[in-house]
Amino acid sequence: MPEAAEPQNDFSLDPSIPAGAASLESILCTEELRQRPSRRPDHAQENAALVALASALAESRHAILEVLADTILRVTGADSSGLSLLTSDGATPNDEGQRFYWPAIKGMWSEQVGGVTPRNFAPSGEVLDRNCTLLFRHFERRYLYLLRFSPAAEECLLVPFYVRGKAVGTIWAMMHSDRRKFDSEDQRLMSVLGQFASLAYQTMGMIDDFKAQIKAREEAESRLRELTRVEVAVILDGLEAQVRTTEEFHRVVVETASDTVVSIDHGGYILFANRAATRTFGYEPSELIGQPLTVLMPEYLRDLHKAGLKRYQETSHRHINWQGTELIALRKNGEEFPVEVSFGEINSDGSRVFTGFIRDISERKRAEEKLRESELNLRQMTETIPEMLWGATPDGSVDYCNTRVLDYTGLSQREIQGAGWMKTIHPDDAENVEQAWARSVESGDPFYFEFRGRRASDGKYRWCVSRALPLRTSAGGVLRWHGTVVDFHDRRQAQEDLRNAQAELAHVNRVMTMGELTASIAHEVNQPLASIVASGDSCTAWLAHEPPNLDKARAAACRIIQAATQASETVQRLRALFKKTTSITTSVDVNIAIEDTVSLVRHEAQRNKVVLRTELEPGVPSVRGDRVQLQQVILNLTMNGIESVARLDHEPRWVVIRSANSNTGEILISVEDTGLGIEGEQADRLFAPFFTTKPQGIGMGLPICRSIIEAHGGRLWAAKNQPRGAVFHFAVPVTAPGT
Amino acid sequence: MSDPDCIVFVIDDDPLVRDSVADLLDSAGFTVRTFGSAADFLEGEHPDLPACLILDVELPGLGGLDLQAELTKSGADVPIVFLTGRGDIPMSVRAMKAGAVEFLTKPFRKPELLDAVTEALRRDREGRLQRSETSELKKRFGTLTPRERQVMALVVTGLLNKQIAGELGTTEETIKVHRGRVMSKMGAGSLAELVRMAEKLKISS
Repeated sequence: MPEAAEPQNDFSLDPSIPAGAASLESILCTEELRQRPSRRPDHAQENAALVALASALAESRHAILEVLADTILRVTGADSSGLSLLTSDGATPNDEGQRFYWPAIKGMWSEQVGGVTPRNFAPSGEVLDRNCTLLFRHFERRYLYLLRFSPAAEECLLVPFYVRGKAVGTIWAMMHSDRRKFDSEDQRLMSVLGQFASLAYQTMGMIDDFKAQIKAREEAESRLRELTRVEVAVILDGLEAQVRTTEEFHRVVVETASDTVVSIDHGGYILFANRAATRTFGYEPSELIGQPLTVLMPEYLRDLHKAGLKRYQETSHRHINWQGTELIALRKNGEEFPVEVSFGEINSDGSRVFTGFIRDISERKRAEEKLRESELNLRQMTETIPEMLWGATPDGSVDYCNTRVLDYTGLSQREIQGAGWMKTIHPDDAENVEQAWARSVESGDPFYFEFRGRRASDGKYRWCVSRALPLRTSAGGVLRWHGTVVDFHDRRQAQEDLRNAQAELAHVNRVMTMGELTASIAHEVNQPLASIVASGDSCTAWLAHEPPNLDKARAAACRIIQAATQASETVQRLRALFKKTTSITTSVDVNIAIEDTVSLVRHEAQRNKVVLRTELEPGVPSVRGDRVQLQQVILNLTMNGIESVARLDHEPRWVVIRSANSNTGEILISVEDTGLGIEGEQADRLFAPFFTTKPQGIGMGLPICRSIIEAHGGRLWAAKNQPRGAVFHFAVPVTAPGT
Repeated sequence: MSDPDCIVFVIDDDPLVRDSVADLLDSAGFTVRTFGSAADFLEGEHPDLPACLILDVELPGLGGLDLQAELTKSGADVPIVFLTGRGDIPMSVRAMKAGAVEFLTKPFRKPELLDAVTEALRRDREGRLQRSETSELKKRFGTLTPRERQVMALVVTGLLNKQIAGELGTTEETIKVHRGRVMSKMGAGSLAELVRMAEKLKISS
């Protein structure tokens, strides 16, 4: 591209619109293009124009822009035409530039070529922002800096100009009088020409790039040739000459090398040493030249070296490996250090030159040493920590157990490996452990299993838990397994004791609650008894009549049976609650459990003038748990509710027990009352042991209820009831399908 | 022991107990009416016959003791035999003080129940008799003139005619006439009988 003209009219990039500038809308008349009568397309002229553009391809990119401006002027019959392209330096196209420059202008404005306008406040800028053709009328009324150009533009039609799909500027045509007005045919022609020119411009760009690449490659090749030549010279020429002629090569390759490079002659005297020698050995290169190589070796290696060099020259027998041999070297300060040496030999005119690359490997050695130490540490740790550790290969075969495991099991490392550990597992657990381990090995899931393992010291089986996690490669495959074994027998025992103690406590609580219910229970039992005794008496009386009234006697006997059945049911319900049971897990129908409980407290409610109601959702799924314990919770909560209401004498007086299926896998049970309710401070302490608001309470009811519900995998909580009283909710999971 | 002209009301919410008690009384020859609640009883018909209540203490809604209080308040003086499922001493004391005939704890035997019912009916009959005698005397007393009532009040205190005449500021002769009319209107054969009548009528000077 020819040198662009010095920018004559560069304008500030100030984005603010100058005072007195006309609004954009007032100078835009793009819409009129469509309404103006349009010329018929002149295809012959259009073709001629495209041919002109195509022939410009043979020239430069700039020529295309010139031809384009010229063509536009011709086909539109405009007074002036040209291009505005984005630039950052005011002279070369750059689609990220913040200014437009005018690389080519034809017609009345041709002298303005090289002019520059700001990206953010120019007609072309507006075209790029909107990405469409715009027609301006007297645009200098807004873009005041255009006032200085003469003649003024009556109309200016601007069309976006794209390169590689990116708008990089505009092409434009201008009328300086109202001699003719632009129409939509002008717009069409400019778009077509612009597209074609854009393609041509791109093609030219590619050709230019290609040329530049060829040139760069030729340069690179010649440089390479030069370097090769220099390298050869280094090896073959005499030292002094080499240093001079291959200065660049040395600087680039040898002097900047981090390894020490030393060349010796056949007698073992140093011909050359690079700057790294100073860093590694403490000698300036100049100090070394002419010295025997042995100065760089500890005393005890020198004779070995000399003999080796001599033997090699005589027999070509190498006494050490020439590539990457680890040796001990000697610094100027007498310090010995490990090095890795590689060297080669060059025969030149019958004289031998050996060049060696010497690398200080102290750091590497230290790192290796550290690694060995840390490995040792790790091994010591696995052997000394007071836990049982084991490892296994990806196929599940145990290949390591630490001493703790061996001590515990009494097996040797050899005996326990593979599947040898299996014989320490309790026969009842062995199969399950084996299956669980096989599952983990297959799936790669963490292993966790509780089992009884034999402790060698007393030969007893104790509860242990083993966990293992897979160590994975970055690709996700299992590299190996690492596991632990913990003997938690004592803890488990303690937990069991605790569970028993809790069950005991729960039983005491039941008995106490039942104690509070004695009067109601007595009523429950005496009611059918009264019926039995009375009916027995009447039965006897009917039989004693003259003649005996058998129908009435029979009816009385039926009542006896009915009442006795009722009594027996009541007694059974009571016995279940009084019984001391260990937890029995079954499927419990919550609604039946509620109804049974309610029948026990119904009279208690009546006695206290409390209305006791149930609102049970029919057909709620069963829950898994201990029926007695769940009834105990319902009983406790209901009794609490009744007592709370009983202590007041206001209306309403009710306790409602509800059941509902939450449809999230839980059954919700709530006990609502209209009693005293829960005050803020109490809410926090409700479930704390020994907290009670009752004169006779010991404050264990709610903590026991909560522990029962939590043992069922559920939750128990309290809230305020509206408009008064309290509501206790608990949620227990429904029986899982398949269990 | 039974009396077809009596009626026993059994009020108990437990149908088995209610029917058993009713049947037992039936077998002993009593006429029985049963009710499931106090409210049902209050709404029901009560023939004007000697009667008694067999009342469960633990009734839902209006309890047995509440009903007792209610009846006393309205002046329906029917004897009550209480039944209860739990022997609760304070409760029975309260019931007895309020005039209950008996307080039976379930389960009870036939003799206990029949004795209690018989006693209750006896009391009711007696009460009714008393109530009807008194009302006859009241009727007779109503036929006396004010002066005759004054004279009768003074006669039954044991004053002589002369003393009464002095008291009322009239002559002994006049008092004698009044006294004769009083005796004949009240149907009293002797002074002693008139005194008893005055006691029943709670007349004092």
